[in-house]
Amino acid sequence: MTYRLEMRNMTKRYGDFTANDNVSFTLGAGEVHAIVGENGAGKTTLMRMLYGMEQPTSGEIVLNGRPVVFRGPDDAIRHGIGMVHQHFMLFPDFSVMENIVIGYEPQRAGLFRRKDAVEAVRALSERYRIPIDVTARVSQCSVGEQQRVEILKVLYQGADIIVLDEPTAVLTPLEVKELLQTIRHLAESGKSVILITHKLKEVMEVADRITVLRGGRVTGTVSRQETSVDELARLMVGRDLQPLSERVSLDGRPLLQVENLTVSDRQTIVDSVTFTVHHGEIVGIAGVSGNGQSELLQAITGLRPVTAGRVLLGGKDVTNRPVAAIREAGVAHVPEDRYLWGTAKQESVEENALMGYQRKPAFSRRGVILRDAFRRVVEQWVERFAIKTGSRHLQEQAGNLSGGNLQKLIVARELGQQTTLLVAAEPTRGVDIGAMEHIHQALIEKRNSGDGILLVSSELSEILALSDRILVMYKGRIVGELKRSEATEEKISVLMAGGSIHGSGQKAV
Amino acid sequence: MEAVKKLCKPLVQPLLAVVIGLLTGAVVISAVGESILDTYQQMWKGAFGSYYSFASTLARSTPIMLIGLGLSLAFRAGVFNLGAEGQMVLGAICATLVGLYLPGPGLVKMLAALAAGVAAGGLWSLLAGYMEAKFRVQLLITTLLLNYIAVLFAGYLVSEPFQDKTGSAALAQTSMLEKSVWLPKLFAGMSVHAGFLMALAAALALFWIVRFTPFGYEVKMLGHNPLFAQYGGIDKDRVMLVAMFASGGLAGLAGTVEVLGAHYRYVDGALTVPGYAWTGLMATLLANSHPIGVVFTSILLAALQTGAMGVERNTEVPLELASVIQAVLILFISAKISHDWWKNRKSKRRESHGVV
Repeated sequence: MTYRLEMRNMTKRYGDFTANDNVSFTLGAGEVHAIVGENGAGKTTLMRMLYGMEQPTSGEIVLNGRPVVFRGPDDAIRHGIGMVHQHFMLFPDFSVMENIVIGYEPQRAGLFRRKDAVEAVRALSERYRIPIDVTARVSQCSVGEQQRVEILKVLYQGADIIVLDEPTAVLTPLEVKELLQTIRHLAESGKSVILITHKLKEVMEVADRITVLRGGRVTGTVSRQETSVDELARLMVGRDLQPLSERVSLDGRPLLQVENLTVSDRQTIVDSVTFTVHHGEIVGIAGVSGNGQSELLQAITGLRPVTAGRVLLGGKDVTNRPVAAIREAGVAHVPEDRYLWGTAKQESVEENALMGYQRKPAFSRRGVILRDAFRRVVEQWVERFAIKTGSRHLQEQAGNLSGGNLQKLIVARELGQQTTLLVAAEPTRGVDIGAMEHIHQALIEKRNSGDGILLVSSELSEILALSDRILVMYKGRIVGELKRSEATEEKISVLMAGGSIHGSGQKAV
Repeated sequence: MEAVKKLCKPLVQPLLAVVIGLLTGAVVISAVGESILDTYQQMWKGAFGSYYSFASTLARSTPIMLIGLGLSLAFRAGVFNLGAEGQMVLGAICATLVGLYLPGPGLVKMLAALAAGVAAGGLWSLLAGYMEAKFRVQLLITTLLLNYIAVLFAGYLVSEPFQDKTGSAALAQTSMLEKSVWLPKLFAGMSVHAGFLMALAAALALFWIVRFTPFGYEVKMLGHNPLFAQYGGIDKDRVMLVAMFASGGLAGLAGTVEVLGAHYRYVDGALTVPGYAWTGLMATLLANSHPIGVVFTSILLAALQTGAMGVERNTEVPLELASVIQAVLILFISAKISHDWWKNRKSKRRESHGVV
């Protein structure tokens, strides 16, 4: 069998650093080939070389049996390679059709033939069963629809090989399902798909073959029928994953009580939300991002004013108190966006770790920060969470740490506060499996020791794995509550999309 | 070796800026038709050539250094204080009035004058900080505009109610302070006075605060990422207000020591015409807001000015040579700032568009 695409012995070095080491990869016609690996495993580099954005140090790309060299993305597109980026590159004020045909508009006598363009896009949409309103404005499309626009654009440009970069990261569970169907259908109609992801479950659903990268090398290329999620995880991480600790059942007193909490900023973002987190309990809030979860956490932690309602911590009213007072009352916070809220990138690891400890009596004497004592504590965190700090260790710039290691540092810092309540937003976003395992384990341990955790995650698997109780947020309200025993991905998905799980009212999205 | 490298790295940029400034100066000198080597020799002589000229350079660097130090603290906190001139002038006039009219022994008057100078400058700066904290009026604008109020108000005070009417010419100035209030000179017959030691002490104190205290840490983090600081429980407004007070207070002290150590009276324009405030700003930018760095950059900039005076005395090249060189320095510093900004922007873009 000849392959549509072969990448042979690709190596890419940046100075001393080898990003790709002798990576070979093949892709047949009508095949879905997934590339998985942790952050920094070399997926990016490999795809950048395929798309002509980087030139390989050595190795060759063979397309339909002929060696090719791509000078840039335009070159790659002309050879039938299309890429759908994780962050869409669309013009929000233009229509779907205009975004799809841009750069390759059907013309006659130098004039743009709108009718032909609409026809062509409709035909494409039907042929590949990618439903879309051709005349809608992109700014009015949902994230899932925008992704379909990107895929159609690539198809319109004549791509036979479609690269999808973390395509499901931004989608709701229902949209994910539809996307996976689309991918299968594309493959059946003869297109080849490269799927870059770290979600192994999706890979097992849709891929024909899977190539695993670790540290710039291929650790295995396997076909789906012959592998399992466990084997893939092992290939990615280089060892077996540990199962999470047993959860001790605890009947704790109420710890955090949120009563009719409302946050408004011209419009109502959080709408009269009421819930309780008990000692020894993890309460998960599921929801598509942008439904008020971030604002809810900001209001609880004092970063955003509460418009109405109350927040009680251990019976004490902390509504609208300054952040420092709320932290003092026993709240630690893993923020949603680690670069925006959680770190100062130019500062060292040590300075970032110090946030919140600089005035603790244990680490200051007569107005001077006791650096040595603090450093010993940070060393313990580094060891416990296996944080890779780089050559300058604690003096390394935080911005130079990989996302996963930085996240581990933040989690360690907040756990180190030993507060009764931990508010954790997206604690493992963009973090690889190894780090995720560490963080999940630490959260469970904290719960088992009798502390309460409020967890917000757009990752359903994370919510299901960790939570004792699950609340679902939709448009600023809590639209459902499920016990751990009764929660399933399906039920949560329906609630997340604004549907109801009671009665016949399965309001489709 | 690694340590030496690390020490030298922040010096490369400012030194390069100075070299290019001098090269540009050379172009100007040759345009005037003088010998470049000769002129720079005169400049060196004017700044460092004798004990006397070296002492003059240090004296001139004193207010620049104090202002630069104050600004360095504000910049570290991410606060843009452009009001050093007004803070300095207001500090100077208040100190003068206290020195003139407070009864009591000389030493008490001197200390009271120093305290009044610091307080006046600090409170004036705090006013801008308060407006930012309370009404979100941009500091950049308020501090700049408050300069005019302070300078013109001080000008009014010395040309009307507190004018010295004893002399024959009615100049806009106060009466002379009595000798017991004067700051001592460091060396007999030289112009450098005790204010220089205060500036050095302030530099060391600031260095220590920024490096070792929780407050210094909070200032630094606020400057690097205000949201992170807020998230960590740092009271943004409080740190900002303290930083504003300290930077204004140091500017007030700069004006005060000029009065008590050099002019012995408040003379309208004596502090604003030499442009101490703006030179101080430049010293901070050139030193990248490092307190110890400010000591050196302010001496350097002062030397440029005293040196240029020497040049004017002995050659056909005008005093403005110093301005040309300074202008190039500013250009270089702002180029560096925009370059950093550009680099930041680019790296942010890369993050958001990369394939994972």
